[in-house]
Amino acid sequence: MAKVQVLNVAVLDNPSPFGNPFQFEITFECMEDLPEDLEWKIIYVGSAESEEYDQVLDSVLVGPVPAGRHMFVFQADAPNTGLIPESDAVGVTVVLITCTYRGQEFIRIGYYVNNEYTDPELRENPPVKPNYTQLQRNILASNPRVTRFHINWEATLDKMEDSENVDPAPNTMLPPTSMPSKAPPLGLMPDNSMDCL
Amino acid sequence: MKLLKPSWVNHNGKPIFSVDIHPDGTKFATGGQGEDSGKVVIWNMAPVLREEDEKNENIPKLLCQMDNHLACVNCVRWSNNGLYLASGGDDKLVMVWKRAAFIGPSTVFGSSSKLANVEQWRCVMILRNHTGDVMDVAWSPHDVWLASCSVDNTIAIWNARKFPEIVMTLKGHTGLVKGLTWDPVGKYIASQADDHSLKVWRTMDWQLETNITKPFSECGGTTHVLRLSWSPDGQYLVSAHAMNNSGPTAQIIERDGWKTNMDFVGHRKAVTVVKFNPKIFKKKQKNGSTPKPSCPYCCCAVGSKDRSLSVWLTSLKRPLVVIHDLFDKSIMDITWTLNGLGLLVCSMDGTVAFLDFSQDELGDPLNEEEKNAIHQNIYGKSLAIMMGSQLSSTIIENPEMLKYQQERQGNQNPNGAQASGPENQTPKLTNVLNGESLEDIRKNLLKKQVETRTADGRRRITPLCIAQLDTGDFSPALFNSVPILPGSSASTQLIPQISSDSSTANSLGLRPSHDPTSTSPNKTAEDNKDSGTAAVNSIGMKSNLLLTSASKIEPMKALDSRFTERSKATPGVTSVLHDNRVKDSSSVKEPKGKDETSSDSEDKIVVKSMTKRKGEMEGAEVVEKRKKGRPRKDTPVSLEKEPSRLTTPVALLKLPTPSIQKSFSTQVSTDGVTYLEVENEVSVVSGSRLSQLKWSREGREWDTLLPSRIIIATGSSDVVAVACEDRTLSVFTACGRRLIPSIMLPAPMSALHCSGHFVMALTASATLSVWDVQKQTALVKNESLNPILSGTEATVSQSFLTRQGVAVVSLSNGKTYCFNSSLETWNLIADKQDSLVQCTDFRSCVSSQDALGSMGPLALTQGRNLSAGRLASRLSSTPHHLQQGMTLAFLEKQLASALILLSASEYRHWLLIYARFLVNEGYELRLRELCQDLLGPVHKSSSSSWETTVLGLRKRDLLTEVLPVIGQNLRFQRLFTEYQDQLELLRLK
Repeated sequence: MAKVQVLNVAVLDNPSPFGNPFQFEITFECMEDLPEDLEWKIIYVGSAESEEYDQVLDSVLVGPVPAGRHMFVFQADAPNTGLIPESDAVGVTVVLITCTYRGQEFIRIGYYVNNEYTDPELRENPPVKPNYTQLQRNILASNPRVTRFHINWEATLDKMEDSENVDPAPNTMLPPTSMPSKAPPLGLMPDNSMDCL
Repeated sequence: MKLLKPSWVNHNGKPIFSVDIHPDGTKFATGGQGEDSGKVVIWNMAPVLREEDEKNENIPKLLCQMDNHLACVNCVRWSNNGLYLASGGDDKLVMVWKRAAFIGPSTVFGSSSKLANVEQWRCVMILRNHTGDVMDVAWSPHDVWLASCSVDNTIAIWNARKFPEIVMTLKGHTGLVKGLTWDPVGKYIASQADDHSLKVWRTMDWQLETNITKPFSECGGTTHVLRLSWSPDGQYLVSAHAMNNSGPTAQIIERDGWKTNMDFVGHRKAVTVVKFNPKIFKKKQKNGSTPKPSCPYCCCAVGSKDRSLSVWLTSLKRPLVVIHDLFDKSIMDITWTLNGLGLLVCSMDGTVAFLDFSQDELGDPLNEEEKNAIHQNIYGKSLAIMMGSQLSSTIIENPEMLKYQQERQGNQNPNGAQASGPENQTPKLTNVLNGESLEDIRKNLLKKQVETRTADGRRRITPLCIAQLDTGDFSPALFNSVPILPGSSASTQLIPQISSDSSTANSLGLRPSHDPTSTSPNKTAEDNKDSGTAAVNSIGMKSNLLLTSASKIEPMKALDSRFTERSKATPGVTSVLHDNRVKDSSSVKEPKGKDETSSDSEDKIVVKSMTKRKGEMEGAEVVEKRKKGRPRKDTPVSLEKEPSRLTTPVALLKLPTPSIQKSFSTQVSTDGVTYLEVENEVSVVSGSRLSQLKWSREGREWDTLLPSRIIIATGSSDVVAVACEDRTLSVFTACGRRLIPSIMLPAPMSALHCSGHFVMALTASATLSVWDVQKQTALVKNESLNPILSGTEATVSQSFLTRQGVAVVSLSNGKTYCFNSSLETWNLIADKQDSLVQCTDFRSCVSSQDALGSMGPLALTQGRNLSAGRLASRLSSTPHHLQQGMTLAFLEKQLASALILLSASEYRHWLLIYARFLVNEGYELRLRELCQDLLGPVHKSSSSSWETTVLGLRKRDLLTEVLPVIGQNLRFQRLFTEYQDQLELLRLK
């Protein structure tokens, strides 16, 4: 079980102009004192088409983390507009908050983000070159997508094999074609029997 | 019989693998597959039982859901006391849950279900041991142990009072272990596995009692679980999947001889689960009919892969009821209500069914007393474990006892959290909010939170601790509350603030030097930092983004995948991060002092200086400090002058003698700092060299002269003793008056000790003498150390004299002896190799206020050794009865040793521990003997040799201390009353 559980993420300053910094108030709970810092990142998905347009808006270390419940506000600058493909500036995209411990990602929280012109005129006839000053960013705060990963929390062991770090379950937003069913336990089962993705 | 399938009990269509009704009947738990994890759900029972409650929207159905298990949950089981829920899953973990009373409604963050949890159950313990999926868990009667079995072929027995301690791992199965059941009497635990066997293990020594294979030889490993069950009267054990003539059965195994003559037949596919009704029934007496004496019988539900359920009474040849097509898939688990009339069944198809029987159908359930009577008839009193829940039904027979019990409860209540059991594990909650409301904190969190820069320019935030573990005083308001929207002005103000922070960090020079070959993003970040503008920093982070085109994918789908795909580790960041962590943390300014790392360095310095000082103190006390002055050459002149020394037979010199020093000083007696200073050969008067002994205490001092060089000088608060080179011993009062003329010793002095009026001399020829210089008597007269030294290579490593004048000698082989002057024997009081010490475990009998009483000569000789023994007992898994015996032997030895050392406080200390141990483990005879000795004869008779005191402690006072200890166990209430009354009687006299 994960030593760190994210209890809540509140999206602050939302909706806001496109250029405003992102602000997430993160509440998490830690089962025991962590000897190392947690690393949080905000990743802005510039284009749905490729990961290469992803921007790490910022990454912070959070620590020290003694056992208990903690909160902090993670603020990061708005994405660099120069790195966003013009065709993807307006519309729905995603912002991700990830947390890693000892270099291993154990939680990924995703929000849909809708970038829209507030001005009805611009909305009707959007300029070819996006006008970022007129864009409003609206994070769909009520509907976070949380994915948890199984990681090795201890320092003594080597890092787990990547093959073990498979998403423990299919995402809820995927078409339910490959719902996991309990495989009959014949002989040795793989460490994670939910590898059906 | 009524049948109901509450559709609202579901895991969103995912399979439900386990169901268990809470002992109080108000709720039940289900375990199975969740959306992205394993899932445990606690449901309200009322809407299942009553239709009006089901329709009433104000009555919650779902009480709590927990998705902490990373993979499917195979089993959920409530503890018998209802305080805990244990769950085991495919993530190889067993989790123990406890209800947290103080937290308001919450949801699981990110779960699609927006239903708030009504009750808050939190994981208080994670038990990691299994290397494969955990298939079944079971609490022992009275919740002493928790057993879990796994596909790793083992069964783990956990100490439910000291989680996560493992009592034993039962190994022997050669296949996946898929079911567990405890004998209701507590003598056995049975397990069924895919290796075609059912094994019964003894709880006494955790060894295999029997291995039953015959009925299972034809079985294939086709069922997900094999949940077997033991009848409430303990007489029958019923297996899951067995085969008889190629037909699936549930095998009945008789306790008596483990005979396998009967089975439940009729299911068309393998039996997955068997569950006995917790009640024993007797025939319903119809009004008017003549009451016929009838045998009590049990009731059993059997679930199968063939999707049908059968309910059997042991008094009937055929099943009471069979229900086909109850589910679409295999039945996975069955649970009865405690009253024995209700039954919940769950299935792989993700639904549950509730069966409601009437007493007409099942019969009259026996009450607990009648059930206990049956147990007593069959097994006798001795088998039943006398534990809390049973004791609560024991009648308190006397008002004194009642009063005592009430007082005890009253004392316990204020600090109930510290009571024994797993509650212990829960750290106490502390509010660190200092009265500030959470809303206030949230408003200013961004401004208030401590943010620093690490050496490589990364932001580091110190999170605000809003509640310590566990259950928390955490305001429910936080969850799902509308976020407070800080004005945009507030957020823009932040930037300069951060940069100023970082620049101060810079100016303080806390930045360590860098490897010039560090990766470019970091370097950029550093450069940015140097220029003092934090805002530019993010560019550095972005510089590693690559801009290349990609194939066209439908946007939404592509976005979806982003939620789950793991990001690649930012290269170069983490490695540098680790290098700088330590230095970085020291720069963090923590207002709350909660920062462990930052305060660490300071602490260490303090500790260092402390130990140093301590070392000096000790040095002053013990070690003879060599003063300045030339190292003295051994002059042959002195030898010539004292030819007597040469006559000493060298062969007899077994013990080393200290070398003669020109001058030395020692500190003696701790009350009032007293120094003894010796200066040999201060002056030569008419050919003989004189030595000076100087005594000083708080400004007062005296000195005296001795005709021979002084080898050892020591003293107590009352006397000063000096041994000289010419084998004489001189004793002075604290004021410098000579008490006795020089004592001539048979050999040179090896060690000399003073304590009170006692002087102890250990000569080089290995003889011991102890004198009481006040009474001018010899306690020990030239006693040889041969009995303890012969046959060993050991020498005396340490010796001392207790305040009571008992000489203690430690040898280099780890053994410590004292000489008992009345028996005139050497007695072994401590042995570092003693195996008894290694295996004793009496920690539970030591109370915190006992710590003071344990100081004394006994602790001095064995102190560190003792704690090592305690540790060893935790590491090795000695069978309980063996450990019990060893602990008893050890404690009795301690008691005797304290007695022979005349150490009253230690005697009292060990007496109380001994009494507690006897009470805990139920040694009645020994307790009675102890009490009898402490009480003594009630009527005085001249022939009685009973002493009223032991080591100056009044025995009856000790008894008054011991009695409350005895009163803690209701089982000994007769004993308690008996001695309480007699004590009272004596007091009146």
